[in-house]
Amino acid sequence: MDSQTPSSTPILELRDLTVDFGGVRAVNSFNMAVAPGELVGLIGPNGAGKTTVFNLITNAYHATSGQILMEGKNLRGLSPDRLCHRGISRTFQNIRLFPFMTAYENVELSIHSAPQYSLFEAFVRLPRARRKQQESRARAHQLLETVGLEKFAHARAGSLPYGLQRRLEIARAMAASPRILLLDEPAAGMNEDECKDLVNLIRQIHESQGYTIIMIEHHMAVVMDLCRRSRIYVMQLGANLATGGPEQIQNDPQVIKAYLGERKNVH
Amino acid sequence: MDWELFQQQLVSGISIGAIYSLLAVGYALVYSVYNFTNWAFDGFMVFGTFMGFSAIISLALPLWLAVIISICLTVALSVTVETTSYRPLRLRKAPRLFMMISAMGVNLAIVNTLNLIYGGLFRRFPFEDLEPIFLGGISIGRMDLIAMVISAAVLVLLWGFLYRTKLGLGILASSVDILTASLMGINNNAVAIAVFTITGVLSSVAGLFFGMKYAVYPTMGSITIKAMIASIIGGLGSLPGAVIGSMILGVLETLVAGYISSTYRDMFSFAFLIVMLLFLPNGIMGKSMEEKL
Amino acid sequence: MGYLQAITILSGCNLLAVMGMAVLTGYTGLFSIGHAGFMALGAYMGGILAKELGWHLVPCLLGAGMFSGIISLGIGYPAFRSRLRGDYFAIATLGFAEALRLLLNNIHSIGKIRLGGAYGYMDLPLLKDMTFLPDWAVVVLVCLIALWVTHMFVTSQYGMNCIAIRQDEAAAQMMGVDLLRTKLLALFVSAFLAAIGGALLAFYFGYINPSFFGIQRSSDLLAAVVFGGIQSLIGPTITAILIVAVPQLLLTFAIYRFIVYGLLFVVVMVFRPEGLFGYVQMNSRWITRLWRRNPASGME
Repeated sequence: MDSQTPSSTPILELRDLTVDFGGVRAVNSFNMAVAPGELVGLIGPNGAGKTTVFNLITNAYHATSGQILMEGKNLRGLSPDRLCHRGISRTFQNIRLFPFMTAYENVELSIHSAPQYSLFEAFVRLPRARRKQQESRARAHQLLETVGLEKFAHARAGSLPYGLQRRLEIARAMAASPRILLLDEPAAGMNEDECKDLVNLIRQIHESQGYTIIMIEHHMAVVMDLCRRSRIYVMQLGANLATGGPEQIQNDPQVIKAYLGERKNVH
Repeated sequence: MDWELFQQQLVSGISIGAIYSLLAVGYALVYSVYNFTNWAFDGFMVFGTFMGFSAIISLALPLWLAVIISICLTVALSVTVETTSYRPLRLRKAPRLFMMISAMGVNLAIVNTLNLIYGGLFRRFPFEDLEPIFLGGISIGRMDLIAMVISAAVLVLLWGFLYRTKLGLGILASSVDILTASLMGINNNAVAIAVFTITGVLSSVAGLFFGMKYAVYPTMGSITIKAMIASIIGGLGSLPGAVIGSMILGVLETLVAGYISSTYRDMFSFAFLIVMLLFLPNGIMGKSMEEKL
Repeated sequence: MGYLQAITILSGCNLLAVMGMAVLTGYTGLFSIGHAGFMALGAYMGGILAKELGWHLVPCLLGAGMFSGIISLGIGYPAFRSRLRGDYFAIATLGFAEALRLLLNNIHSIGKIRLGGAYGYMDLPLLKDMTFLPDWAVVVLVCLIALWVTHMFVTSQYGMNCIAIRQDEAAAQMMGVDLLRTKLLALFVSAFLAAIGGALLAFYFGYINPSFFGIQRSSDLLAAVVFGGIQSLIGPTITAILIVAVPQLLLTFAIYRFIVYGLLFVVVMVFRPEGLFGYVQMNSRWITRLWRRNPASGME
């Protein structure tokens, strides 16, 4: 089924991952293996189960069967917050920022969701706690700068325009110092110019931070561009349909039939 | 082992379980459709009971008429509360906390108004103590028997409504997924009115039974917590579970009250709740409800 | 003058419990309708420590707080533990308050300690005898310390985690917030504060009775937070004082009090759910901003 498997130990591996909701098998024996530092695309028609795969990886849903391995170690059963601390971070298809917190606070939260000082220090704010607070403040501002939101640091997240909210989500996900970044339709609702900016941003993040990135996306231009030198997984009806590089996928008759062929304009 | 005493306790337990099941089903229905605890349920029940009581005492109306008036007034109250205090919040997708506060506010207003008007005295319905009935060698209080029979009848009627009428099926569909149900043509407003009408009926009937069996007083609504516990035992959101949980709770509670002490009865229920949450949070029949992300 | 002192003390005791509610409900978003139960635990334990064991004031308060906090974990853990969303915690707090009320009404003595059941626990040491300060000064002092400590908590990383849970629990968890731990922490702190309020009340009257800590008290506490504002300490502080002071001043209002509160809850939720002072945080930046009339350092 897949043509190129990474030679080193995959940083993330899904083996025969399956989940049933009531009578519906949303994900069916799905397989994926991602090498450290790869930027992999995950595409497929609506309802193919892509976001469900993300939800399974982060244990928002319990898988019915199959394995989820990070560097060979089983992740199933770990709570979402433990997974976050193991290094898996994500953005959401429907933006889930903390609407009444400022952009800055949203990012800062991820930095210290596992508090960096003890409770006692929280009460009396010894120098060490103050220093930690300053460090996370600096880092949060730096992340906001990376996604171009420095100007909006103290705006309420819920009041930001849509495109900026998407960027903020990415900043927040990065703040958790992940090793694996799961991006769920980061370009949703964006026009061509915004997509170009986003592609540059993601490429820049990928190259400078060395994250492993798995990206769900419907904007074909974005996927094909970012995964130029990498692989794309295609899903249909919860299962693997094809895997390969962009040209391979674009020319795969099954993929064309199932997905690309449905759309007259590939954008 | 004193079998006769045991049987008495059992009967009493089933009777109180019947009352709990009316309440638990009412609670579970609202919860399964709206994922929301109707704290005002307490107030509805007390309101219905006092309305029935007043109809008999102050207006000297016959029992059957008082019951009908009580049910109608409670339904009116219930639907009014839904349209003014719940729906506006639901429509703007208010967080759970805000809806709970609103419901609590409604409850406070209703219970304290009744307290102000009627005072906290325990009142009794003016029935002469009726002879218990002997069935198969066990003596069953007439009130208990009526409570059991009518509760069963009400629940059967409810089942029939839910599973055999279009509106009822609409309610069931909404309890699975409101959005999908409305996309399939089910009228959300009709469902809301139906659900809260049922709430009004169940709470007033349960309240009247409780008032007739024990007493009428403004804080009598505190037994709705038992209904909630029963619902959790059976599985939050499950209607059959609500009935099963109520029966189990009612019987066990009464046995504890009979054999250990009546003061510890409510503490037993609370302890049962904690044990359930620790070991079987989904309840006996519960489906685990996971959030859509 | 004595009247003012009484109001100060009563508001102060209430204020401590309201601070607890603010942390639990205003910041973390957990609905609790039995918080007076934690006050009761603190009152009785404080009374026992002072009267039977002869402890001094501060150890009594801390002991009362710890006792209440630990019991709160026994309620919180089962309720928060399961992955299921639900109103388990709210139901558990209601059940707890009821069960405790029954327990206290029926226990007349434990061993040699005569708790008095519904007649109440009597002859407790009085606040004015326990320290060199007048009783109202002790309460004010404790309130100020508690306010400062709570402020430190909610502005710390722990507090931010609580806020995140209230705003979007599932997202918070995915960003690494340990839900169970954070909620238990918020609960413990809130029970601790409520207990201190209860204990001070016990020492003020020298006598406590289970009826002091019933549903009416729990409703008062909730009202202070609902009206005062979510995610704020200053708001509930103001309303906590008003809620004690106003009924005293307008006695005719007192009988309609809960009816009015109930209706106001609905009105507030429908029209201004964040309350009067929602999200208003006391910090030096806020004060200097007022002082220097600086434009806010953000957009909008």
